[in-house]
Amino acid sequence: MRLFQEFTKGFIKENPVFIMALGLCPTLAVTSSVQNAIGMGLAATFVLVCSNIFISLLKGLIPGKIRIPCFIVVIASFVTIVDMVMYAYTPEIHKSLGLFIPLIVVNCIILGRAEAFASKNGVIPSIMDGLGMGLGFTLALIVIASIREILGAGQWLGMNVMPAAYIKSPMLIAILAPGAFIIMGLLMGLINQMKKKQGA
Amino acid sequence: MSYFIKLGLVLLIITAIASGILAYVNDLTKDKIAENKVKAEELARIEVLPGTAKFDKQSVILPPVQAEPNPLKKQVAEGPLEFVYYSGLDTEGNLTGYTFVASQYGYSSEVKTMVGVDTAMNIIKIKVIEQAETPGLGANAATDVFRQRFEKKQISELKVDKDGGEIVSLTGATITSRAVTNSIAAGLQILTDAVGKEEER
Amino acid sequence: MSFITQVFTLAVFAVFVNNFVLSKFLGLCPYIGVSKKIDSALGMGMAVIFVMTMASTFTWLIQEYLLLPYHLEYLQTIAFILTIASLVQFVEMVIQKTAPALYKSLGVFLPLITTNCAVLGVSILNIQEGYNFLGAILNGLFSGTGFTLVLLLMAGLRERLEKSEVPEAMKGMPIAFVIAGCMALAFLGFSGLNF
Repeated sequence: MRLFQEFTKGFIKENPVFIMALGLCPTLAVTSSVQNAIGMGLAATFVLVCSNIFISLLKGLIPGKIRIPCFIVVIASFVTIVDMVMYAYTPEIHKSLGLFIPLIVVNCIILGRAEAFASKNGVIPSIMDGLGMGLGFTLALIVIASIREILGAGQWLGMNVMPAAYIKSPMLIAILAPGAFIIMGLLMGLINQMKKKQGA
Repeated sequence: MSYFIKLGLVLLIITAIASGILAYVNDLTKDKIAENKVKAEELARIEVLPGTAKFDKQSVILPPVQAEPNPLKKQVAEGPLEFVYYSGLDTEGNLTGYTFVASQYGYSSEVKTMVGVDTAMNIIKIKVIEQAETPGLGANAATDVFRQRFEKKQISELKVDKDGGEIVSLTGATITSRAVTNSIAAGLQILTDAVGKEEER
Repeated sequence: MSFITQVFTLAVFAVFVNNFVLSKFLGLCPYIGVSKKIDSALGMGMAVIFVMTMASTFTWLIQEYLLLPYHLEYLQTIAFILTIASLVQFVEMVIQKTAPALYKSLGVFLPLITTNCAVLGVSILNIQEGYNFLGAILNGLFSGTGFTLVLLLMAGLRERLEKSEVPEAMKGMPIAFVIAGCMALAFLGFSGLNF
């Protein structure tokens, strides 16, 4: 039961993007299409789970003083692995995510979970925590990317979902940088409103 | 003091192990990465020049460009620039046309296009093989709608509509459209000259 | 183009056209997190300019004289992030020893910078764009300046916002994002610039 909670808390209650506002850079940068959002989400989830496993295994061996550099080395290694594997097997997604793959290293979600959870818990809860947080991150990315792609291009995952007339002249702003910020702000406001209603 | 040496050692060991693993993965993937690039080009080449059984690689040396060097960028490898093109032959050995890769910086990335032309230098087909332009805008250069706008075009028509040419540019992505169009026109000019010279000989 | 023109072009592009925050989405965490007050925004901005310039310098040297000659390009991410982390630590110690007054105003922001993706971002971009040593340093300097500029603008706006009526649910971060969107819209106008 407790394990299940570790898994699901990342989806809504402690959603890393909407509630904790972590990992904002990739959230806004790669959500111009759903395909990129899924690619980024899964890459980050993989790094998160692997680094959580290793850090919870190594937690007894790493002296407290140098734990942060050690965590960073572990995370950076997995990021590089993901980078190379994506380059080899999904070159197109690799190209469009570009700079943001190496930048997974400084994604605060991953270092944050290593420091706050994996370095204090066992392997199995750490895996669950990593999976839940990673999928919560992916979910948030997909939500934002869906809104942006449908409004800004009339498409979802590359399939046309809006009438042809809309696709011909869509609301381009949603796919450009300003749209990312505004949609993110409105979504956060919406979630605040829902939380307030539930609490009242 | 020995405590600090121990800290350094632990960090060193972890980094060394990590580097070892990375070296191994790099070794596993690097061939695949190189292979992907070659394969993508080969597939595109067949697509833009249908009915071709064999491609012959050819190249011409371009005259050196007298561009002033940018004092803030590294100097690119010296030596003469080479323009590589392939002439296509069908199963009976008849010339079907030529293919080449056109490339120019668009809005946010280098846009590379594979171009197939027939023996009279009319475009048969194009295919964008590499780009990272804005999704929904410049990235639409890779769609079939845009590709079809180039079919059967001659070099004199290769300009976007805003520059007085025949290519209808993408909505909100004139810069990308212009990059694709102008790079194809430049490549086609070099190819025409190169093929013309060869025939004289 | 002459040297001065090139430097000027680089500056305009780094500060306005390709602004790190508003068009490249780098360094958003401090942009939203440390922009409530102008004082702290200024401190953070100065610290970022300093660290980005230093990081550009050192990572460029590492790439050029360590990774490239030994064909270790695949260690780029790990090498750069370790360089930045130790650089930040080192700078913190030096400032603490030599300039206590400066340390008082910048100190709290320095540790935060290690996980600021703008720093790692500029280091990797310097290599990708093929800058030489001078170009990399200048790019770091100007990109940091661009970051500080929008951070200060944002802090000014948010100080005003304190006094205005904002719907309860939009208070704090949500409205900050919407404002950032409006700023990004204004900065989008620069992308038509061509030199």
